[in-house]
Amino acid sequence: MNKSNYTIPVFLLLAVSALTSCQKVITLNLQNTPPKYVIEANVTNQPGPYTVTITKSVSFTQDNVYPTVSGATVVITDVTANATDTLKETTPGNYTTSVLVGVPLHQYTLYVNAASNVFKASCTMPGVVTLDSLYSQLSGFRGNSYEIVPVYSDPVALGNYYHFVEVKNDSVMPSIYIRNDQLINGRVINTPLGGSDGGSKINDGDIVEIYLECIDSAIYQYYYGLQQSQNQNSASPADPLSNISGGCLGYFSAHTSSYGTIVIP
Amino acid sequence: MPKIFKAVTAIALLLISFAAHAQSKFTVSGNIKDKKTGESLIGATIRVSDNAALGAVSNEYGFFSLTLPSGSYKLLIGYSGYKEQEVSVSADKSNKLEIALELLESQLEEVTVSGKVNKITSAQMGMDRLDIKDISVIPVIFGEKDVMKTIQLLPGVMPAGDGSSEIFVRGGAGDQNLILLDDALVYNPSHLLGFFSIFNSDAIKDVTIYKGTAPANYGGRLSSVLDVKMNDGNDQDYHVSGGIGLISSKLDVEGPLEKDQGSFLITARRTYADLFLKLSSDTTLKKSRLYFYDLNAKLNYKLSKKDRLYLSGYFGQDDLGVGSIFGINWGNATGTLRWNHLITDKLFSNLSLIYSDYSYNINVNNSGISANIFSGIKDWTLKEELELFANPTNSIKFGIASIYHTITPGEVTGTNITTYNQPDNHSWENAIYISDSWKASKKWNIDYGIRLSAFSVLGGSNLYNLDQNGNILDTLHYGSGQIVKTYVVPEPRISASYILNDVSSLKGAYTHNSQYLHLISNSVASNPTDKWVGSNNIIKPELADQVSLGYFRSLKNDHFEFSVETYYKYMQNEIDYKDDANVLNNTPIEPKLLFGYGRAYGVELYFQKKVGRFTGWVSYTLSKTELQINGINNDSWYPARQDRRHDLAIVGIYKLSPKWTLSADFVYYTGNAVTFPAGKYTLNQGATGAEPLNANYWVYTTRDGGRMPGYNRLDISATKQLKKHKKFSSELTYGLYNAYGRENPYIITFRTDPNDPNKTQALQTSLFRWVPSISYNFKF
Repeated sequence: MNKSNYTIPVFLLLAVSALTSCQKVITLNLQNTPPKYVIEANVTNQPGPYTVTITKSVSFTQDNVYPTVSGATVVITDVTANATDTLKETTPGNYTTSVLVGVPLHQYTLYVNAASNVFKASCTMPGVVTLDSLYSQLSGFRGNSYEIVPVYSDPVALGNYYHFVEVKNDSVMPSIYIRNDQLINGRVINTPLGGSDGGSKINDGDIVEIYLECIDSAIYQYYYGLQQSQNQNSASPADPLSNISGGCLGYFSAHTSSYGTIVIP
Repeated sequence: MPKIFKAVTAIALLLISFAAHAQSKFTVSGNIKDKKTGESLIGATIRVSDNAALGAVSNEYGFFSLTLPSGSYKLLIGYSGYKEQEVSVSADKSNKLEIALELLESQLEEVTVSGKVNKITSAQMGMDRLDIKDISVIPVIFGEKDVMKTIQLLPGVMPAGDGSSEIFVRGGAGDQNLILLDDALVYNPSHLLGFFSIFNSDAIKDVTIYKGTAPANYGGRLSSVLDVKMNDGNDQDYHVSGGIGLISSKLDVEGPLEKDQGSFLITARRTYADLFLKLSSDTTLKKSRLYFYDLNAKLNYKLSKKDRLYLSGYFGQDDLGVGSIFGINWGNATGTLRWNHLITDKLFSNLSLIYSDYSYNINVNNSGISANIFSGIKDWTLKEELELFANPTNSIKFGIASIYHTITPGEVTGTNITTYNQPDNHSWENAIYISDSWKASKKWNIDYGIRLSAFSVLGGSNLYNLDQNGNILDTLHYGSGQIVKTYVVPEPRISASYILNDVSSLKGAYTHNSQYLHLISNSVASNPTDKWVGSNNIIKPELADQVSLGYFRSLKNDHFEFSVETYYKYMQNEIDYKDDANVLNNTPIEPKLLFGYGRAYGVELYFQKKVGRFTGWVSYTLSKTELQINGINNDSWYPARQDRRHDLAIVGIYKLSPKWTLSADFVYYTGNAVTFPAGKYTLNQGATGAEPLNANYWVYTTRDGGRMPGYNRLDISATKQLKKHKKFSSELTYGLYNAYGRENPYIITFRTDPNDPNKTQALQTSLFRWVPSISYNFKF
């Protein structure tokens, strides 16, 4: 039911703007910010290796070229199994595991030391919920493009959080899809992804992969923040609250993952 | 606390002594109304012809009472735009007067405005009363004349955004305005995202705004009071009037229930903006609904010479949706039952029972899931006010008010979803007040009073204990009806004028006041789903202290008026949101809020030409509004969203001929304080191995550290009076909103440059450029 949260303002804006609005690109005198570390770390229940990517942020006015951070020490520990893996930098800024195996319900910690800046995080991988199937239908809102419906069964226990990644024609789409089971607990879910939230348009001939990730509540909160900052309809936008301590951007997510592929006829 | 009771007792004793002194005097009292319509006239003046110091003003029901030393007098009764009437009174004659004033034939005549409360001498400051006649000719968007849009042209009152009905008054937030329709609280004064207000100006008699120190009979909001009174209905004759516009139409029927005894009034409005959506090529928009309707109704009847009963109501509903998949509707309903009773010719009683309700409903019906979310706020109010016209120099008001609030935070029902129902939240707000309007001497007029307000949080819904970081430690349960906590706030206020000479005065005022209900809204545009929450153990009442000073001057035989007012306001327990607070979902709100201080100060200049073929005004405000909230911007002071350095409005109305009236307004204001990104970064979103597309995310550094570009706009309109028939008159109004097509920013968003994926850009969305309108209004 999170859908209604952003559906309303966006829809209202859409309806009104259709009457009279116009858009133009403007130049603003924006503040500059010193580069910040950005750490993106994922451990899944699928076979490794798993990657930790470390980059830096740039000022808004600069090009979208993000410096990679090399020479960092990156360690992921499976606290439950008491196993430690020190990651190797395989390409600049990308650090990969060598022995670690992601197991649901295990707790993992992340340790990063980049030029004496220490970042730490902890995350427990939730239990598995598997994507049963995918189908497509004409969008109820748009009518002239498609929306994808992932089908899965929410477990009986309350407190499941989901993140969907949409890969269309080999590119990860920027839309952020998250769900919890507050209003749909224990049911078979066949709610379409998207709606009117400005998700990417899916047309005939597109090949779409959907990844269903079971995430923990801190990561759900993180993606919620990221979604807010992307939708840009909050009066007090801010950086999403990271589960990594030490003052960086990004996240450390231990999650389960399953996926399906659909070709729009 | 005992100090207040001492003060109340002292004032009560004072009242008794006034009564005792009245023996060698006599009292003239009565009602003042419009001869043609029978509408009571609010704020008409009663002057003694050879003694300027003696006089009275009619109250909000057109009643006045004037006590004079025994003798014979000539009274002059006046009201702006009406012929002055002379009445002889003496101690040995009947001194119950029923005055019916006649409208001046031509507004073109050069007349000196007598009557109407004199801004120079009255103690009240930071107050403006809108002239309904002005509202009808000032150009507005869609040609729909509108109270909220017109008050935004006054100094110190600013619109929240382009086309918005929401107002910011003297640095206050949008939820800090007490908006009353016939004494009933209006929780959301907006239709269609604020592009229309709920006030149908055809049904409105009087609009008064208090920007600073409001009289003690008002309370519950920090920044301002907007008191809107509905017409009573014509008690002489039946009339029908109406209007047809491009996107809305309305009809008004009024007439006597019994001539001179009672009347009724019904007005209705409906917009059909969605007809335009049907023209759109976008299939989503084609299926859309977007309209509102509203209804005002009022009855009044004189039960006896001393008793009059009023029943008035408002009902409005907005509907927005796409086919059957998605819909939201929201609306206000208010009702006021009022009994005016004249206890003696000096003591006027007003008892009201008031109902007020705001609610919204969201429907989602898609892919086998159907859900309905309901949320709202409902008030029952009982109020008794006594007005004692003690003597020519003191007029005293005292009263009590009791409000029972019920907030429904959210009920979810539907099929294929988990339904749930959060318990309603109840609270009880009470107030007792007394105030005196005192003509202390020829030079001094002083209004002073105190309001003692109390807010009791009632049990039945969940309350929480939070730790230092705002996380929930435990949930507290109290039985329903149990008083959990009571806040008591004494709210003294004083407003005084010192008359320098016949044409100028100095004024000063101070108020302390409180606000117990808060609007939780964290979106860029005002949203019908914004929620009201009551104060509780965590959310403390908002408090404000305001000091203001002013200089008022009338020029050229009162043809011009000039004023300067300056204010300083200090606020406590102001609310802002934690980073990424999701205030819309159904989890407890308390952990998402932060509390702190606010300060606002500014200077307001106002220059008005009141008389002649050309009338109008210039208003300018220079101001600053800041917040200091621990947890935001390193605990330092930062600009509030409504902080605006400059705000300028120019309004001109020109009577070209008896047929044509031209008008124009120009506004300029500094953009709102907003949070813009300072940097950007990239993420892969998960571990798919695929390359992300346009994955640029923003880095934010300072809350409200950025500024929207400045806003400016010119609107013009022309009204043509069509041929008048015996009983039928009509007019055509042509308008052009944003005449030079300025692209004012409504919202600024950031995105990857569609032409160069290596760059990012800021995109400005503007709403209204060159919005033409034409409307036809008739009356018979």
